[in-house]
Amino acid sequence: MKNRKLGQYTWYCYLVPALFFYAVFMAWPLADSIRLSLYSASGPAGAGRTFVGFDNYIRLFTDPDTSARFWGAFGNTWYFFFINMVCQNVLAIVFALMLSERTMKGSRVYQTIIFIPVTLAILVTGYLWKLILNPQWGAIAQILTKLDLKELVKPWLGDERYALTTVALVSSWQWVGIPAMMFFAGLQNIPDELLEAAEIDGASKLGKILSIRLPLIKPVIGIVTILTFVNNFNAFDVVFAMENANGAPSYSTDLIGTLFYRVGIAGQHPVGIPNPGLGSAIATSTFIMLMAGVVGILGLTKSEK
Amino acid sequence: MGKKLTVLTALALCLTMALPLAAGGSKDAAKKGSSGTVLTMGSWRADDVAGWTALLAEYKKATGVEIQFKPTNPPDYNATLRLQLESGTGPDLMFARSYDTGIDLFKNGYFADVSAIKGLKENFSEGNRAPWTTADGKAFAIPLFAVIQSVYYNKDIFAANGISVPKTWEEFLAACDKLKKAGITPIANGLADEWDINECFMMGILPNFVGGYKGRLEYETGKRAFNDANMVKAFQAMADLAKYCPDGYEAIGYNDSNALFATGKAAMYADGSWSLDTFKDMGANWGNFAFPAPAGAKAAICFHADAGLTMNAATKHPAEAKAFLEWLCTPEGATVAARYLPNGFYPMISANIKIEDAHSAELYGLIQGKDQDVRFCWPKLMSGDPSGYVLMNQGVIKAMKGQITAKQAADDFAAGLAKWYKPN
Amino acid sequence: MKSSPSLKWQNRHLGSHITLSLWALVVLFPIWTMIVNSFKFKLDIYKDPFGLPKKWNFDSYGSVFRDSDFFMYFRNSLAVTVGSIILVLVLGSLASYAIVNWKNRQTRFIYLFFIAGMMLPLKIGSIKLLEMVKALGLLNSIWALFPIYIAMGLPIAVFVLTQFITDIPYELTEASVIDGASRLRIYAQIIIPMIQPALATVGIYNLVPFWNDLWFPLIFINNEESKTLLLGVTRLFGQYQTDWSKVLAVLTLSAIPVILLYLTMSRQFIKGLTAGAVKG
Repeated sequence: MKNRKLGQYTWYCYLVPALFFYAVFMAWPLADSIRLSLYSASGPAGAGRTFVGFDNYIRLFTDPDTSARFWGAFGNTWYFFFINMVCQNVLAIVFALMLSERTMKGSRVYQTIIFIPVTLAILVTGYLWKLILNPQWGAIAQILTKLDLKELVKPWLGDERYALTTVALVSSWQWVGIPAMMFFAGLQNIPDELLEAAEIDGASKLGKILSIRLPLIKPVIGIVTILTFVNNFNAFDVVFAMENANGAPSYSTDLIGTLFYRVGIAGQHPVGIPNPGLGSAIATSTFIMLMAGVVGILGLTKSEK
Repeated sequence: MGKKLTVLTALALCLTMALPLAAGGSKDAAKKGSSGTVLTMGSWRADDVAGWTALLAEYKKATGVEIQFKPTNPPDYNATLRLQLESGTGPDLMFARSYDTGIDLFKNGYFADVSAIKGLKENFSEGNRAPWTTADGKAFAIPLFAVIQSVYYNKDIFAANGISVPKTWEEFLAACDKLKKAGITPIANGLADEWDINECFMMGILPNFVGGYKGRLEYETGKRAFNDANMVKAFQAMADLAKYCPDGYEAIGYNDSNALFATGKAAMYADGSWSLDTFKDMGANWGNFAFPAPAGAKAAICFHADAGLTMNAATKHPAEAKAFLEWLCTPEGATVAARYLPNGFYPMISANIKIEDAHSAELYGLIQGKDQDVRFCWPKLMSGDPSGYVLMNQGVIKAMKGQITAKQAADDFAAGLAKWYKPN
Repeated sequence: MKSSPSLKWQNRHLGSHITLSLWALVVLFPIWTMIVNSFKFKLDIYKDPFGLPKKWNFDSYGSVFRDSDFFMYFRNSLAVTVGSIILVLVLGSLASYAIVNWKNRQTRFIYLFFIAGMMLPLKIGSIKLLEMVKALGLLNSIWALFPIYIAMGLPIAVFVLTQFITDIPYELTEASVIDGASRLRIYAQIIIPMIQPALATVGIYNLVPFWNDLWFPLIFINNEESKTLLLGVTRLFGQYQTDWSKVLAVLTLSAIPVILLYLTMSRQFIKGLTAGAVKG
């Protein structure tokens, strides 16, 4: 009896410190901002604002201009996520599969190189790639011109058809190191005996990948998908660094993250008067959608034991 | 190897922790050692730290009051300032944006009412005070500086191709045509950053097309429709220029345009007077000319009130803050300030301030004899939803790309404004 | 008969090397651009963005080393980043251990509570956070950043660590429990070593956002002594003009400690992985 009571007490001690920081410095401000979404924008913060109930949400989903921006950003963010899954995460799995082969030489060197873009400040990444993609003096433009393919040089970042894909590819370039690292960890955990047994049974390299290695890292795939999903829906920096907070050109690179920043934090350039109530409504709506998505993905990728 | 790496890293980190103690310690001590009142000044002009620090040092010598210049990264200034003011941690003095952005902060009680500052009404014209005055006559900031929109041009390229400064819009287009046929990019402007084509070009030429200050008022009071023939002509003028912009101009940003003009790859560049210092060491002869008006129209120029200075309504040093503002409203104070302001930022005081830099003086001379006005959207069209600024910006971009006609752009502009704008 | 491993064609992994080398080029070309342009004068960057400088400009790096402020910023960033990561890992692993081993409705709820934090950007609570930081008297000091980053890093820590701790077979801890070892000892001597790869993963995952964060230092810190590196760098961004060669110089230098920290952590990562494989 005594042991059980003592046992419960110590568990509390394990949980409380983390809960404290999290509840005070994250949960409370975020809950406060959800509360803020029920208030109008005008007037100073705090007592000055008036309670408007769900007006902000109604405006967000039905007012033609506002909802056009919201659903536009929503669609763009899904497309951004799709490109990231296809490029960033597929490349990450491919690299991890290659690097985790026991007999692969130089694995550490490759791993470090793959990780270097992650360490760069996004401002610098944006600037460097803008330089490379520049239609006047960019590296790609120069190479294509030398190969007599000048017609292929397009102002990619200024064309509504290509801008979002370009930005998404740059984002993949930057972040591929993180999922690669996570997949690598998962693959390393696969016991050698399993793979050797398969080899003795005559499995090919591809067979081993498809029937053993990939299925065993299904939970990691799930984690990575969720993290990509959540990060993309909050993505802001890469668009800000390569285009601007408006999601130029013509809002084609406008993501939920940039929309939120533009509406709720910085306000429209150059006036800069934000609408925290509407911004919070955007954030809260996004949060609900994300929760639904995450729970769904978690369900689909429960670990195989 | 692993252990060595960890040890090496730890050593490197320890070293860098120790360095600031050696190098930076003395600097901080000097800052802390100053006695007396210390005020802070917020601004978005992170570029001018040196100039303002020198100016404030002179002020300190004269009055003993120390003011520290603490600028913020420009794109974040509005958001950061707002956050700081809302939580009571704002600076004592701060730069104020004109019109609605400033009015909003004043209405929320963050800016002090400075109508009673000595010298404000006496030494500044009503037109110059207007951007920082509310509709009921309260002033919430003193005017600090204004900028001029014009065209920078490469004199050497003009001379080599026998082109003289265009006097009408038609001559301007002809000059562009001649340059393009000679294989030179006529104009350096692009669309990637969006704001520059709007503020530096469209709103630079608008005074010529709408009839300057009085013309703008007629739109604002509803006498003229926002999509009348003049507005269509202005959008069309911009659309006509698209073919004279650099190849791939849709992805050319503001810094790229600067570089194109500065390296002599483009002959002309529509930009603000703030760029005078950028081209100082260009290595070619260059100058400015005002946007020419269409044949027969009166010449007008955009002289835009950019920044005011105000004090925090909740400052702990109201007397010292007020004293500084009053000093800037005297001709002597304004002259000292003008000396430290970078070239291209013009004081708005009614006294005659001598401008020393040759290019800056030449540019300032362009406003003589012309109708002057601020940027078209600024006074009344900015803060509604959809903002007039955004409507005009998107309209110009789409018209230049050929996605819509000039008439459609003007119609969209008017339709968007009709959603919230009441003529007044 | 099977030939010895090192001679097998399979083990040369030619395809892998080609693919990875191509990717290395795609990675290293922009890095090359960054380094090369940090040695150029401003306009020369646009005249020839990708070649070696014709006129070498050492002033960008020189001013960084001369301007002691940058070392101050660097020290602040380092302290905040490393300190926050350590605290996130300690607090997060303790909480995850409790969540996994003490299964009841409350801990299930606490788990979801933590996960929810991954989905909202903390930025939107900025006003409240600023008020809190001011009330605690932490404004203008780097201590304001610690609780924020800890709160930011905990959700992912709990998310990843609970998964890894769940995977630890009970047989390993059962023996110690029967021996009468306290929970704390089990935690320190068995759990922590077994989840080293997960700890390193969480550490690396949070390393870059903490180091490169601009927003919270921007709104909390105004005096020079407490600025972090990226905030200090923004001083180089003018309203209309930016001296990119200087910015690139500073940011090249600031990537080095991050890479060093990554190498240190990933070494732990590999050690933990191979240990796990042998045991597993």
